Amino acid sequence: MATLEIKDLHVEVTDEENQTAKEILKGVNLTMKTGEIHAIMGPNGTGKSTLSQTIMGQPSYHVTQGDILLNGESIVDMPVDERARKGLFLGMQYPAEIQGVTNAEFLRAAVNARRAKDDQISVMDFLKMLDKNLAILDMSEAMTERYLNEGFSGGEKKRNEILQLLMIQPSFALLDEIDSGLDIDALKVVSKGVNAMRGDNFGSMIITHYQRLLNYIVPDVVHIMMGGRIVKTGDASLAKRLEKEGYAGLRDDLDIDVALVDEN
Amino acid sequence: MDTMQTQTQAATAVQTAAQQHNEPSWLINKRLAALDQMADLPMPLVQRFNYRDWDLMPGNLQWADSKRDLAQVADGPVQIVQVGQTTVRVNLPEKLQEQGVVLTDFFTAVKDYPDLVQEAFMTKAMKANENRLASYHTAYLNAGVFLYVPNNVVISEPIDIQLIQDNTLDQPLNSHVLVVAGRNTEVSVSQHLTTVGENANLANCLMEVIADENSHVTVATLDELGRKTLAYVERRAYAADNASVNWAVGFMNEGNTIGNFDTELNGVGSRADAKVIAITDHDQRMGVNTKITNRGKHTNGNILQRGVILEDSELVYNGIGDIIHGAAGSEAEQENRLLMMSSNAHGNANPILLIDENDVMAGHAASVGQVDEQQLYYLMSRGIRRETAERLVIRGFLGAVLSAIPAKAVRSQLVEIIERKLENGR
Ligand SMILES: Nc1ncnc2c1ncn2[C@@H]1O[C@H](COP(=O)(O)OP(=O)(O)OP(=O)(O)O)[C@@H](O)[C@H]1O
Ligand SMILES: [Mg+2]
Repeated sequence: MATLEIKDLHVEVTDEENQTAKEILKGVNLTMKTGEIHAIMGPNGTGKSTLSQTIMGQPSYHVTQGDILLNGESIVDMPVDERARKGLFLGMQYPAEIQGVTNAEFLRAAVNARRAKDDQISVMDFLKMLDKNLAILDMSEAMTERYLNEGFSGGEKKRNEILQLLMIQPSFALLDEIDSGLDIDALKVVSKGVNAMRGDNFGSMIITHYQRLLNYIVPDVVHIMMGGRIVKTGDASLAKRLEKEGYAGLRDDLDIDVALVDEN
Repeated sequence: MDTMQTQTQAATAVQTAAQQHNEPSWLINKRLAALDQMADLPMPLVQRFNYRDWDLMPGNLQWADSKRDLAQVADGPVQIVQVGQTTVRVNLPEKLQEQGVVLTDFFTAVKDYPDLVQEAFMTKAMKANENRLASYHTAYLNAGVFLYVPNNVVISEPIDIQLIQDNTLDQPLNSHVLVVAGRNTEVSVSQHLTTVGENANLANCLMEVIADENSHVTVATLDELGRKTLAYVERRAYAADNASVNWAVGFMNEGNTIGNFDTELNGVGSRADAKVIAITDHDQRMGVNTKITNRGKHTNGNILQRGVILEDSELVYNGIGDIIHGAAGSEAEQENRLLMMSSNAHGNANPILLIDENDVMAGHAASVGQVDEQQLYYLMSRGIRRETAERLVIRGFLGAVLSAIPAKAVRSQLVEIIERKLENGR
């Protein structure tokens, strides 16, 4: 069993324009184990992507206080690639496009990155694994010969993030709005992909705005984030309640002092 | 000693050496005329690149044999291999010989095919009086290859020209590759330039391609001259009606280099495609002009240059589209892009469009930048190490040109060289 612990995490970014630091996460606490699916919901601009990027190690986000522990070991000083090799995966809200590098070539490099130099995956095994995962995601082989994310539609990019997840088999997947921009069929396919990973050796933090995704990937734990903190944690029913009441209702219920974007 | 006297002495020396070499008088006269006008001609203009203090014209014409075993080159079906001035082998299948194809050492061709050579050598694709280095080249020419493809002959096998500069000796390589493709021909040439030996020498390598009506010529070159070689590489083509000339140049020389590439689209409906990849490293300096001149009506020129600049090196790409008055209905496109891999790298991507005709389509794009950190982050977030991620991004960046190189062997060799340079230059 693997664990991911976020302890009193404070994170700043530096504003490009006036070079001032701005605190976004203001003390996040959260513990996940493999075998569990956690959903994180919260209003726009509250710091959900910041949390996932900080866990992954995006260099623009500075941890000013607190710690992130993977299996008890602090990872805040590790570069992103090392964190990935230790078992973290981030399905990004906006995946990068890379010209001239085929999807297949990239996937192979990613799979091999976790393996020892003298134990690189054979072409046959790689193709077998690729075919199996393409089938789960209802993706055509042609997608793997295209350049990485270049010219992919929004939905294709999301599907491709899940393909990477299936190929890399991390211990923890942080999935940031993996459902945004997906049509209903694609939503089912992507959920199928994540559910295929479910098991004792896999945990996931799913960031979403919509209960709908959670009908397909039923979470064990739901966290509500507001103003850079987790303000409430509950089971799957919390997401349903949120769907009915909205953030304003929940905030007033909980008596939390944060402004929501559409009130400004 | 005044210049007049030096000039006379130089002329006498060239004349003596050429006579000793049993050259015909037309060639000797051409050498002497070139020598005579040298001082009055300008050096080739490479914008935004200063090479004033490079010694590109060491003046001596000498004949020397090179050791044949210096040429470690795998045997190819259609091939000529030269080390220095010495031709090590020529492989020309009988079938091609019967069709009248000529592949031979330049000076042998001067003897055996005087009319063919005289008609094409520095007359059409370029002239000796174009710049001082072309004149120098003509006067001091000491090696070369002649390839002739008669009308209507289609050669499917690529023709492999392997030129090895002999830096175990102490003399410049002034090599001329002359390619004459007759009407309705198809031929693909690959040229590989390398260096053996540790001496510091000049390489002045010129290639002329005459593409006659409706011929299709593809040239892929892999330039790998050594670190101690100061190189001037000029490649020129003349395209007649409906001819096409496609260049793919892998500019991987290790020493200071000037590249001057120009295709003249003279005939109606002729086309040219020039793709150039370069990587510079150490404190190397490289300036490249890639030019296509649209002269004929409905001509089409396309320039694509990509370069990677490592360490303290400098790389300048000038893309020159020159559309002459009267070339109505023509198109000229170009893209010049450079990637700088260190803060000490210098790069310049400079599109130059000279348009003297209204009825044309012309476009250009240029950029000088660094590896995109967002892209690196994305790759690394999948566990890929920074070096590997950088290499993937760079290979992707060069990919647009790499994938367009028709000769598979050249392409894979080029990929290998690129990987090696990136490995070393970090
Ligand atoms: N690199 C950055 N530079 C400056 N500001 C940033 C940066 N990243 C995030 N922010 C700011 O931090 C706040 C939180 O952003 P974040 O993207 O984490 O929100 P989110 O909860 O994911 O919102 P959404 O639901 O809209 O995706 C926002 O105000 C955002 O503008
Ligand atoms: Mg977000």
